[in-house]
Amino acid sequence: MSIPTTAPTAPEGSRESRADRRRRGTDSRTRGDRRFTLALVAPAVLVVAALFAYPIGYAVWLSTHQWNDKISPRHPYIGVRNYTTLFESGEFWDAMGRTAFFSVITVIGGVALALGLAILLNQDFKGRTLARVLLLVPWAVPPVVNGIMWRLIFDGDNGIANTILRNLGIIDENVQWLADPDTAMNVLIFAEMWKLLPFLTLLLMASLQNIPRNLYRAAGVDGANAWKRFLHITLPGVKGALMFALIVQSMWSIKVFDTIYVLTGGSGGPAGGTTTINFLGYLTTFSNLDRGYGAAIAVVIMVLVILTTLFWILLLGRPAGGPSRWRRKPGATADVTPSLKEPGRDELAQPAGVAGESQ
Amino acid sequence: MSRPHSFPTSSAVSRRRFIGIGGALAAGGLLAACGGEEPVTGGGGDAAPASTLGTTSGASGSIRILDDNTNPVFLNGVVEAFQNDTGITVEYEQANFNDLHDRLATLFSAQDSSYDVVMTWAAWSAEFGQAGWLQALGSDAVPTDLLPAALDAVSWNGTVYGLPKFASAQTMFYNKELFRQAGLDPEAPPATWDEFVAAAKALTTGDRYGFTCDMGNTDGAYQNFVRTLLLNGGQMYGDDNTVTFNDERGVEALTKLRDLLTVDKVMNPSSLQITNASDLGTLFGAGQTGIVFNWPSQWAAATKEGAVVGRENTGNAIIPGISVTTASIDGSEGFAINQFSQNKPAALAWLQYVTQRPVQTRIVEEEGWFPVTTTLLDDAAITETLPVVSTYKEQSDFEIRRYGSPWYSDVTQVLSTNISRAMLEQATPQEALDEAAARATDIVERYTG
Repeated sequence: MSIPTTAPTAPEGSRESRADRRRRGTDSRTRGDRRFTLALVAPAVLVVAALFAYPIGYAVWLSTHQWNDKISPRHPYIGVRNYTTLFESGEFWDAMGRTAFFSVITVIGGVALALGLAILLNQDFKGRTLARVLLLVPWAVPPVVNGIMWRLIFDGDNGIANTILRNLGIIDENVQWLADPDTAMNVLIFAEMWKLLPFLTLLLMASLQNIPRNLYRAAGVDGANAWKRFLHITLPGVKGALMFALIVQSMWSIKVFDTIYVLTGGSGGPAGGTTTINFLGYLTTFSNLDRGYGAAIAVVIMVLVILTTLFWILLLGRPAGGPSRWRRKPGATADVTPSLKEPGRDELAQPAGVAGESQ
Repeated sequence: MSRPHSFPTSSAVSRRRFIGIGGALAAGGLLAACGGEEPVTGGGGDAAPASTLGTTSGASGSIRILDDNTNPVFLNGVVEAFQNDTGITVEYEQANFNDLHDRLATLFSAQDSSYDVVMTWAAWSAEFGQAGWLQALGSDAVPTDLLPAALDAVSWNGTVYGLPKFASAQTMFYNKELFRQAGLDPEAPPATWDEFVAAAKALTTGDRYGFTCDMGNTDGAYQNFVRTLLLNGGQMYGDDNTVTFNDERGVEALTKLRDLLTVDKVMNPSSLQITNASDLGTLFGAGQTGIVFNWPSQWAAATKEGAVVGRENTGNAIIPGISVTTASIDGSEGFAINQFSQNKPAALAWLQYVTQRPVQTRIVEEEGWFPVTTTLLDDAAITETLPVVSTYKEQSDFEIRRYGSPWYSDVTQVLSTNISRAMLEQATPQEALDEAAARATDIVERYTG
């Protein structure tokens, strides 16, 4: 007896098959759902468009004009000349270099430090609640106060940083932290990371708490050491939160302003050593009132932020088929957890012994 | 296989649509820019003021004033007295000086009329005046006995845009007690640059430096260089605003300033990170440095209750010159009227009220700033109240400049960055000034060309 290997095809002109009818019904429902969804989100989209698209469009428009009120009341259209001037400017590339240095340290260093702290605070130990509360302190400090505080700490004459280092015998003479471009940049990085660490840590800690403990227990039973548990359970488990943390930290780093302003008395000094691209935009727009050129810088910053965001999404938000270590099992039920179902015997038997391991 | 952390397919379509919409908007903006007429705002550029304000007749109603936080006397009775005397209601607000420029620029560019009166000084009078954002005053609105330097602080290019609230210039303050301890005569302050360096060396012991200044931000670095440039007989600009600060005198001035830090080692290294005069004043008042070149308010800071130095140990003299006897930089401030104000007569009444004797006397006595009129400057009672007034009169016989101009902030940024490079020995004074001069020339040409 022959067994058909494919579904029987309906004769031409006959009634449509049940599968076709099902598909047609599904399509119809999908279209209806989509229309309903669009109707629901339309008001929000309009508001967002008004609040975001207009200023962005205006900035782009402004950047194509020579707009400096101190020079002339007329603001002629100059096409992309502001952009060509910008890309030919050494000042711009210096600021880009500083922004890149600042961002790489604060994004990679900040997120790594936050992950370490989150893992630490996720352990059971005496005083954990107090430690978690203390973690929030930097977050509760207003940005300007944060800047003033670090400026006083690193004051060249009376700062406590010098006092401590001298008492410890590490330095003989006071270090003028904010007088040298390199040390000023390091102080800036330090102050920024201190300010942003609580948010990143809390974000990652919330994500860590969604990872079922039994995964770690099972991995332990299978002999996975701490590093393997971190690599195969923790990292995949916090992948979503990690991606979000990297994206927002990248945005904040590129757009850093308030700490620079307070630490350097609004100058971006010394010798321009803390003038990042966003601060350059501020100086151009508000100090020099060169609004067309400043708008060009703002547009470049916007593109930079979009590209950085895309970079992280493409790197970490990659679907199945990407690096195997980051893939998740089918049937995962939450974004930030590798799997909420109990691990099966097969999973426990794997060498790494983890759910969320590559398929 | 599931696709965790990836967007559903329908979202991908939405993203494309969103990008399309964004692109269309941006393109629309560009097209609008291409096709639209040239936008015109304000009355900036070289446009002459359309009309001047000269009378306060019919001044009534209410005004709002935005000032910096230099003068507490306004909050402590002057505003109230003005209201009682004129019947004009005043809403007076103070803001940090360092934040005020950007706030005013934002208000003016939006043609905002919220504030009728705003604080001004040499750079802003030129910058905002040139942009057409300040109301020009007629000659009948300006008192005839104003000090030239004070009037200069509210004027640009021959047009008066406001009236001064106090006059100010830097003079030398020194700690007499530290002079005695160093074996120096406290009644014979240094009169030349070499004497100053020698005194500063004698005053430098252990952690305490003989001289401290405030070069930690843009304006500070600029001020300290310009003062030294003037002391060496140099000028920022020549005829037709030609940049001259990188000439022989400029290079020598910057070399001498740098040498204080790197060769003579008499300049407190924290000078490169002190960002304002009040911090400098506090340092001097606490007896942590021997000599400062500071604004007249330094006297009040050093002699106030609780200050270590005190009145009897605060010495004051003209700044020792390098190739000239002395010179200084101006720091006078004033008030101007917002071009978009709805009540200009009442605003002018405030400006004029502040220049009058009762208010000026309070500013001199309670805050230590100099009066704005020659009549008051010559008043014996004023000199008795504020001994530094006599030094200011002596200093006024020599050059006192600030070089306020519409390009002040642009050039200041460029110059201060390069001055810092020279101070940090990242460039020689010649290299630093040549770099700054090349860029400053481009900037000035953009404004004047």
